[in-house]
Amino acid sequence: MSPDILDEAIEIWFGPQHVSAHGWAAKLTLIGDYIVECDPHAGYFHRSAEKVLEFRNFRQGPLVMERLCMLESFLMEYPYVSAVEQIAGLEVPERARIMRTILMEASRIHSLQFWWGQFAAELGLFTMLLWPWVDREYFLDAFEELTGSRHAVSFNTPGGVKYDFTDKFLKKLDRALLRIEERLPKFKDMLLHGPTFRLRTKNVGLFSAEQGLRWGLSGPNIKACGVPMDLRKDKPDSNLAYDLADWEVPTVHNEEHPGQSDAYDRMVQRFLEVETSINIIRQLLPQIPEGPIIDPKARAKANRLPEGEAYGRVEGTRGITSLWLKTTEKAQTAYRAKIRGPCFASYYALKHLVPGSRFADFIVIFGSLDPYPGLWDR
Amino acid sequence: MMQVNWFQILIDWVYGLIFWVYDVVNWIVGIILWVYNWVWGVIFWIWDLVFLNLDFLIKAILFPGLIFVVLALIYTVWFTRKMWGRIQMRRGPFHMGKFGGLQLFADAIKLISKEVIIPDGSRRWMYRILPSILLVIVLLPFAFIPWDATWYIADLSVSLVLVFAFLAAVPILALLIGWISGSKYSLIGGFRAANNQFAAEIPIIMSSVGPALLAGSLSLMAISGAQSSVWYVFLLPINFVTFLVSSVVAVGTFPFDAPVADSEIIFGWRTELSGVYFTLTYFAEFAEQMLYSALMVVLFFGGASGLPFLPGFVNFIIKFLIVMFFFIIVTSSFYRLRQDQITRYCWKYLLPLSMLNIILVLFGLAYIDGLAALVMGG
Repeated sequence: MSPDILDEAIEIWFGPQHVSAHGWAAKLTLIGDYIVECDPHAGYFHRSAEKVLEFRNFRQGPLVMERLCMLESFLMEYPYVSAVEQIAGLEVPERARIMRTILMEASRIHSLQFWWGQFAAELGLFTMLLWPWVDREYFLDAFEELTGSRHAVSFNTPGGVKYDFTDKFLKKLDRALLRIEERLPKFKDMLLHGPTFRLRTKNVGLFSAEQGLRWGLSGPNIKACGVPMDLRKDKPDSNLAYDLADWEVPTVHNEEHPGQSDAYDRMVQRFLEVETSINIIRQLLPQIPEGPIIDPKARAKANRLPEGEAYGRVEGTRGITSLWLKTTEKAQTAYRAKIRGPCFASYYALKHLVPGSRFADFIVIFGSLDPYPGLWDR
Repeated sequence: MMQVNWFQILIDWVYGLIFWVYDVVNWIVGIILWVYNWVWGVIFWIWDLVFLNLDFLIKAILFPGLIFVVLALIYTVWFTRKMWGRIQMRRGPFHMGKFGGLQLFADAIKLISKEVIIPDGSRRWMYRILPSILLVIVLLPFAFIPWDATWYIADLSVSLVLVFAFLAAVPILALLIGWISGSKYSLIGGFRAANNQFAAEIPIIMSSVGPALLAGSLSLMAISGAQSSVWYVFLLPINFVTFLVSSVVAVGTFPFDAPVADSEIIFGWRTELSGVYFTLTYFAEFAEQMLYSALMVVLFFGGASGLPFLPGFVNFIIKFLIVMFFFIIVTSSFYRLRQDQITRYCWKYLLPLSMLNIILVLFGLAYIDGLAALVMGG
């Protein structure tokens, strides 16, 4: 590239006050309609969650964690809870194990519904923004019935869960599942077979599995390349009940570019994720045994933790979310907590993915990676 | 010594005085009469002006003219929003008035009373003047729409060409507004608006050649009058589709809304407009949609012909709403195309189809006996 061409380049700040940039900013250098450089900036959404965790006791910690990403609050609580359970040596009752797993998968479904509505709106179809969000309301109603709150659920706690399932909740959850089961084929038809959707997403934001692994991507973004990398199967957690269900890790195979994925494949992958989640919930619901929902000694044990460190992790909607927790002797609060959100990697992958594409495709690439600002700025 | 007849002089003086007073009174009466006649003359002149042209004035100001068009514009926006609401599983406006019918008045008052913020980098006088010119240019062609055999404002022999001449100025104004706003997003949006017109103008004019050839006239009145036996939509269905699609491109609404794509370039060339200037451009967009819908009714749906027991303009408005509904369906069911895809689509598919139609019409007129008599007989 000669310097003369760069003289005509213009720099555009995509965010932080852009309408589709809520809490992020990327500096783009454009030549004509093509992006030659992308410089993502983090830090506009920083809420110092890691520091706040040092001032909260171990039952208050999950509340801070779930506020990082309200869309998958059941999943976000889990790494912290898991780390505390590992240090305290707590055993989770069988009933609580299955309840946790069911709600984490329900949380994944409604987070993905939110995502594909938002992605459609970024692609310019507001009908598709509102249709999934109507179905999402059914899940939120169920969560409200269970915990009294629609987003900040505060459900998981060290040693078990806080609220027991009621018949009314089970009815509402079943209604939400029936609704998504009924509507999913329609959504697939409208999104995957829509000619304009294919035009916009095919061969946009193409990367291979090796590239994705090098950039640190995980979750649906890497599974769309055909790599069955999933914590739920790879490292089964003894406090979760994924082993009770019979399911396969869903992957996508791109026939045009084997081993690579574009925005379209990532959309297909997320539909497969929803189907897998529904499958898991349907299998686990009849298996819930009678019994306690929390270890009776959990409260006392989680009050003061022995010295130690632990690494809690979960396969979130957007990838592997993990937390490293270090405690001192007879600690009431964490000595240090380090959160690793999956979206920091996918946000900075833009730096390599975006250059060379058209300006109008930037938001498609960004949306297809599904980054959430709260997960990279903590 | 001369004898002075004082008595005679006194008599002469008195006579003179009387004549003088008489003349003065005459003079004053003359002035009064002149003023009186002048005033009456003006009144008669105005009387003649108004009552001999009352028909035209009522048409230009009241019924198919300004007030009707502005009210129709407001209720078309309401209709569009209500229909979008139905399609998107929400309710649309419903607070103000019956079925939210007064919502648009409330919106207009709110928008007009907002503070106008003019950016530092903009050309202030152009920023103030261009949005008004845009709305005026879009509203002027309504003078040539034949709502009825009696209810129309002007009927020129070349009104079809004149309407397109007015509409050709719209993207230039959009480009200018984008250029003088002093923002990079506005500039990109302005160029995209110009690109849209570049893509759509030739197909849209080519598509209007078919009806003009069949009717043998460039006057909208004659074209709508020639369809009393058969509507051209039955003779030229492909032509209608190409006109509909390319008019959506020319307006720049949803599937082709690259000029104002909110997830990419905030609000395109309208980004920096605020308050009343934004209102003007917002209404100009809907006025353009209305204009294209009215043109489609005239060119393809036989203008005022229809149900015989209804007045002509009621038939026209019913068909107008149906065509507007096509617009709404199209604008709420496709993803946004990229601007290079818009150009490729218009030039690869719409342009050859509309040219093919012209050739078919020519062959039809030459070789099918009775076709010319059927369509031109009126």
